[in-house]
Amino acid sequence: FTPLMLTAMFILLLPIIMSNTQLYKNSLYPHYVKTTISYAFIISMIPTMMFISSGQEAVISNWHWLSIQTLKLSLSFKMDYFSTIFIPVALFVTWSIMEFSMWYMHSDPYINRFFKYLLMFLITMMILVTANNLFQLFIGWEGVGIMSFLLIGWWYGRADANTAALQAILYNRIGDVGFIMAMAWFLTNFNAWDFQQIFITQHENLNIPLLGLLLAATGKSAQFGLHPWLPSAMEGPTPVSALLHSSTMVVAGVFLLIRFYPLMEQNKTMQTLTLCLGAITTLFTAICALTQNDIKKIVAFSTSSQLGLMIVTIGINQPYLAFLHICTHAFFKAMLFMCSGSIIHSLNDEQDIRKMGGLYKPMPFTTTSLIIGSLALTGMPFLTGFYSKDLIIETANTSYTNAWALLITLIATSLTAAYSTRIMFFVLLGQPRFNTLNLINENNTHLINSIKRLLIGSIFAGYLISYNIPPTTIPQMTMPYYLKLTALAVTIAGFILALELNLAAKNLKFMYPSSLFKFSNLLGYFPIVMHRLPSKMSLTMSQKSASMLLDMIWLENVLPKSISLFQMKMSTTVSNQKGLVKLYFLSFMITLALSLILLNSHE
Amino acid sequence: MSMVYINIFLAFIMSLMGLLMYRSHLMSSLLCLEGMMLSLFIMMTVAILNNHLTLASMAPIILLVFAACEAALGLSLLVMVSNTYGTDYVQNLNLLQC
Repeated sequence: FTPLMLTAMFILLLPIIMSNTQLYKNSLYPHYVKTTISYAFIISMIPTMMFISSGQEAVISNWHWLSIQTLKLSLSFKMDYFSTIFIPVALFVTWSIMEFSMWYMHSDPYINRFFKYLLMFLITMMILVTANNLFQLFIGWEGVGIMSFLLIGWWYGRADANTAALQAILYNRIGDVGFIMAMAWFLTNFNAWDFQQIFITQHENLNIPLLGLLLAATGKSAQFGLHPWLPSAMEGPTPVSALLHSSTMVVAGVFLLIRFYPLMEQNKTMQTLTLCLGAITTLFTAICALTQNDIKKIVAFSTSSQLGLMIVTIGINQPYLAFLHICTHAFFKAMLFMCSGSIIHSLNDEQDIRKMGGLYKPMPFTTTSLIIGSLALTGMPFLTGFYSKDLIIETANTSYTNAWALLITLIATSLTAAYSTRIMFFVLLGQPRFNTLNLINENNTHLINSIKRLLIGSIFAGYLISYNIPPTTIPQMTMPYYLKLTALAVTIAGFILALELNLAAKNLKFMYPSSLFKFSNLLGYFPIVMHRLPSKMSLTMSQKSASMLLDMIWLENVLPKSISLFQMKMSTTVSNQKGLVKLYFLSFMITLALSLILLNSHE
Repeated sequence: MSMVYINIFLAFIMSLMGLLMYRSHLMSSLLCLEGMMLSLFIMMTVAILNNHLTLASMAPIILLVFAACEAALGLSLLVMVSNTYGTDYVQNLNLLQC
């Protein structure tokens, strides 16, 4: 069991190590990497099968690294429920993405380096998922952040890509502060960074570390306060978006919260906080997705919205459901990104949906997979998304929870259907709106095979996974029929509404955008305000305090100038003289003389 | 009253007349102000020394200090007026705004 798992992970390391050799310069390197990953996937299925049949978890602790006074750090891998199921899913999706990027990045001269980066990303993600102590998790955490930076800024000649990569790093850093705070708290209060020890010791008030972990998840998984980096990260190539920002990296934050579920079960405050945060994120990003015009940004917002849904699930104390949603979401989101990549590439790098249309006939395979992916996303019964999403909505409906958060989640679910309809309407239906000289071609086997694999996964994986996993928390079995049908009802309502609106407005003139449209299109003004205002304010404040405070204000302005200014203003307001000085003096003297003469008569 | 006192008192009255009746220059009234101060100083010193009132010997010195302060103030006002108008003619003062 355990050696197999380690073999699977070691295989992944090989291409990187060989990167200095002749193999790297070969043009077959991408093919080599892809087959490596497929072998790793198959090998990792074996421990997964063993886990499913026996339910046995394992912890591998092999190398004692260092001991700092009373803290012992070792290289320890934890193969429990979460990591054993996540690793095959991640490897499968990555395999398909590697194959896809062999087609997509075919004309790129640095394709070998691209594959090396993707592989390094995958390795750090594996480290994150299988970490048994917080230190190793932090290594994986930082690793995925750095690889995200390198991959988003892949086309570094483009200024937008560089700012997007920097934005990703900055927002992740803010989350990392929370992570480090949690680590420090655990170190000082529990004297351990191992999960086993943390879960055993009992402590009354766990608010501080859980807040730190929530902040870390907010940063990494783009929840409401720290979300703008995810839509900007679409500046990277489509395979990057498919791998990092749909399936693996952005679920790192959710994964962290899931790992700590024994601590979160007891703390009601944290659950309410996560619930509200997830609900706000879901609704806000779904609103923003409604009026975007770039196909990748719409899918990015859809990812953000689904992440909010996962956080909501953690907030209602269902970590296993959130994990299930992570696994199923990986399939169809990666597929959606790959379909949009195929569309973009065949339309000669056109990403604006207002300039696409009528792709239903020329690209039937992509059309099929796009429709199935969107249906799976919205939770169409018995496709993949249904098994996780519907369970989440049911559990939320029947649990004793915050009614407002629940309502918002339902509205966001219907908006999911709405913007999926929008994508399909603009991209696939209608008359073509693109340049006519594009050669639209889906013939490449790499493309077809990879999308086909994820397509089959999107349809069947939900069923396969949810019926084969060991039993965990029991889902709610009995509920009134209207609650059970809620998710389906709001989704259908969203579909119909969006379809009607799109059809009705198809041939009308484009009107001046209302303020609600502007709010949605500009991402709720959040990035515009938050990127400029705090930094400008802090810089001006520091400049004023450094240069002006002591010199100008205290020495110059407080006593001398203020007194003179005050006197001048007062005198102009009070006096109403006309300045006839000589007259005044003369009258003074005449009065004096007269009084002296008159009063001398007493002698 | 003895002759000395009347003499100095007359000097004071002359300076007062000069302060109150001047033609065009503000500077002349300031000079007369100094004259008033001077005559007061002399009168005070002579009276104290003649009557051997040693306890009040500080009083003239203090009077000098205050005279210096007010001279400075008057001169600064003159400078402000002169900055605005170039001269210190008193007929400029009808439009003087700060």
